Amino acid sequence: MEHSETAGLKIVFSVWFGLLGLTVLEVILAYRQLPLETMLTVLMVLSILKAALIIAYFMHLRYEQASLFVTLIPALVFVLIMMTAIFADSSRLAHMRPLIQ
Amino acid sequence: MSLTSDPLATVVQGDNIGVWGGGTLPYAVPSKKLGMWLFIVSDAITFSAVIFSYGYLRLAATAWPRPFEAASITNATVMTFVLLSSSVAMVLAVRASSMGNVNAAVAWLVATALGGVIFDVLHIREWLGLIEQGVRPFHNPWGTPMFGAAFFSMTGLHMLHVTIGVIYLLVIAVGFGRRKFSTVDVEVSGLYWHFVDLVWMFIFPLVYLLSAKTN
Amino acid sequence: MAHMPTEAQVHQHTAPTGFIRKYIFSVDHKVIGKQYYFLAVFSVFVGMILSWLVRIHLVWPNAHIWGLNALSPAGAPGGVISPEYYLSLLTIHGTLMVFFVLTTAPQAGFGNYALPIQIGAEDMAFPVLNMLSFWVTFLALCALISSLFVGDGPPISGWTAYPPLSAVGRSAGPGQGIGQDLWGISIALFCAGSLLGALNFITTTVDLRCKGMTLMRMPLTCWAWLITAILSLLSFAVLFAACVLLILDRNAGTSFFLPSGLLVNGTLQNHAGGSPLLWQHLFWFFGHPEVYIAIVPGFGVISHVLSVFSRKPILGYKVIVACLLGIGFLSFTVWGHHMFLSGMSPYSGFLFSIPTLIITIPATIISLLWLGTVFGGRLRFTTCMMFALGFVSVFVTGGLGGMFLAQPSLDIFLHGTYFVVGHFHMVMGVAAIFGMFAGTYFWFPKMFGRMLNEGLGKVHFAITFIGVYCIFMPMHFIGLEGMPRRYSSFVNDLMQPLMPVHKFMTIAALITGASQFIFFFNLFWSMYKGPKASENPWESTTLEWTVPSPPPFDNFGGKHPVVYHDPYEYGNVQNGKDYVMQTDPAGQPARSQ
Repeated sequence: MEHSETAGLKIVFSVWFGLLGLTVLEVILAYRQLPLETMLTVLMVLSILKAALIIAYFMHLRYEQASLFVTLIPALVFVLIMMTAIFADSSRLAHMRPLIQ
Repeated sequence: MSLTSDPLATVVQGDNIGVWGGGTLPYAVPSKKLGMWLFIVSDAITFSAVIFSYGYLRLAATAWPRPFEAASITNATVMTFVLLSSSVAMVLAVRASSMGNVNAAVAWLVATALGGVIFDVLHIREWLGLIEQGVRPFHNPWGTPMFGAAFFSMTGLHMLHVTIGVIYLLVIAVGFGRRKFSTVDVEVSGLYWHFVDLVWMFIFPLVYLLSAKTN
Repeated sequence: MAHMPTEAQVHQHTAPTGFIRKYIFSVDHKVIGKQYYFLAVFSVFVGMILSWLVRIHLVWPNAHIWGLNALSPAGAPGGVISPEYYLSLLTIHGTLMVFFVLTTAPQAGFGNYALPIQIGAEDMAFPVLNMLSFWVTFLALCALISSLFVGDGPPISGWTAYPPLSAVGRSAGPGQGIGQDLWGISIALFCAGSLLGALNFITTTVDLRCKGMTLMRMPLTCWAWLITAILSLLSFAVLFAACVLLILDRNAGTSFFLPSGLLVNGTLQNHAGGSPLLWQHLFWFFGHPEVYIAIVPGFGVISHVLSVFSRKPILGYKVIVACLLGIGFLSFTVWGHHMFLSGMSPYSGFLFSIPTLIITIPATIISLLWLGTVFGGRLRFTTCMMFALGFVSVFVTGGLGGMFLAQPSLDIFLHGTYFVVGHFHMVMGVAAIFGMFAGTYFWFPKMFGRMLNEGLGKVHFAITFIGVYCIFMPMHFIGLEGMPRRYSSFVNDLMQPLMPVHKFMTIAALITGASQFIFFFNLFWSMYKGPKASENPWESTTLEWTVPSPPPFDNFGGKHPVVYHDPYEYGNVQNGKDYVMQTDPAGQPARSQ
């Protein structure tokens, strides 16, 4: 079963423009003086979107067997989600400042 | 034993467990590619641990500086564009290699590596500028000393990966040009390069944009 | 789809020649497996001696120990171990045992040796990477051992290397200068070697199974190695990041793990902005999957061996696979149970306790399935089988202690006591080691073409089995009495009545340790002088027993095996045998799947 090693040229360049556009959007948003948490959420969402585009089209995962995606990505996402548990202690730390700064 | 009387024939051929029946590549990718994907998953977790550590400490900090002027942000944005464009060059290199066009593939590989070199040069220039302003891993003129630590460790780790990638791509380019390596090797190096680009997609906003001087 | 040639098939056409290529820089998985195994044998030997020093010091704190004055005049003046040097000894003991024994031999040792043959492959998917993994691990060992000889000795921060102690540098104490740096470098190198090994194992298991070897026809050893490799791939990445940050804190002035206002030995530190808790999170996020990396290969070997020597199919193959997968998954959700007393968020205590208790369920199911496998079998009491049965005993015993520790309310009292020490030694220091012994006694004939002496083996087992209970069970009781761990001496009157228990444990440790020399002798003597082994001395069904002992360089002599059966077809007598080889096209299965 032959499949092309890369996506078509049109898609590749569309993704490229999309990535550049998202980058510009991020930069514009950065100067909008939003509160830190909102900014963080927005940037993370956009970054994940950019990462997904790169993984799917540049790294060709969209065109591989679905089983490969299922093997790699959920495990990675699961580990990353588990690691976010540490932030509970981070926000506690913010309220526990030491005597000497 | 002929295939027709082989009791295994019904298992290996035609069934949907056939792909996992042994003697085939279940993911339909060469082993080297699977190996590189696995490496990427692990390296992604390493980067994530460093970035999460940065997040952990920044969320807990009181005086995280936001020192990046428009010039710095522009520089970082240009670096982002350079890296994204080098990724496109990499895709074109893989495409050329799979079509058997060796010279074009080598050219695009070199172009990709060049993109990496430009990225590194812009990055080092930025580092030198910050160092001149007094930023160190243990001190900076604006706020908590962890700013420099987080900045240098994340961008340093990334720059190390870019540099290794440049060397890797040039080795592949030379080897592919000499017909020692195959299309699979070019693809595998491409996966690594796209991963390096992908990590930057997170470092750029989290390190630069969240510390941009917006007032 | 096209079966594209893998690196293994392209490279392994001719046998290597020359001593260096055959035995030193070999890409043959069998050689590399043995290299890892002997690296582990060396490490366990050194680690065991360190444990003797620790145990002797607890009972006879003023003993002049021969040789220590030469090794460390500052740490052991006149051969008397100082409190700091005590901590150094137990740091290297722990680091050696957890990393260089339990994370090498069960997975990289036996796995490298047996996995490719058991799945019908000529070699691992990436033989050159395999060789690189070993030599990186070897370098890591060199870095760690060198800490015993350079500067003012090894670090005193334990194998867990908690900051601030591990991060502030020399001012924190002896061994915290170059010693801690060497530790960090060693572990970082080890992470790299493990990562490369893990991706090799996974790719090999996925891509290189021979025809007919479906995933559900793989021996349980292969499932265990696969799941362990996945855990390694995902968890060592975090430890690597943590070690990099620690090295930066120590050498680049960063403060990832160091808060402000830290007074160390009277000196105010310049650091600010970091958190020691961050290290604990990163370390234990790795550390808990790590202990499953240490034990899961043992689960695989024991499941396999119990079936072979009971002459019965393993009870519940699919359930065991599901349980192993469940354990692997859950192992990423429980790390906070090492941190109940760290000052982390109180809600986290509850959130980590629940999956910790849940993870006992698949482990218990597997243990019960083992008992069910043995029940009604025609047992063959080889030394291998004795260690396998012993594994079931010690694993259940040690695991039960975990149920107490899993509860934050109880852990408030038990954390940092000998109860914890007894628990993890029973499951890791005994059960996992029993898994290694079982693996050794099982695969030795294949690896060296000779048989180990069964008489010596049984004596070794008997003394060891009784000995380990004598050493580690009392630890649970003195822990319940509140005796703290990592203390070099106890002057508090409260602890004095318990000192005879320490004496008992020390004497048991010395006797049990001495009996290991029976094993070492058996191992090295039999390698050269043992009776020659046949192709299949255990009458086992899996693929490694279809090739000569030892196998040719490409395992199957250029042939590609085809598999027709499950791996545990025992008990149904046909053609004069009570077993059916996996590669036998003619045999009837023991029972329908």
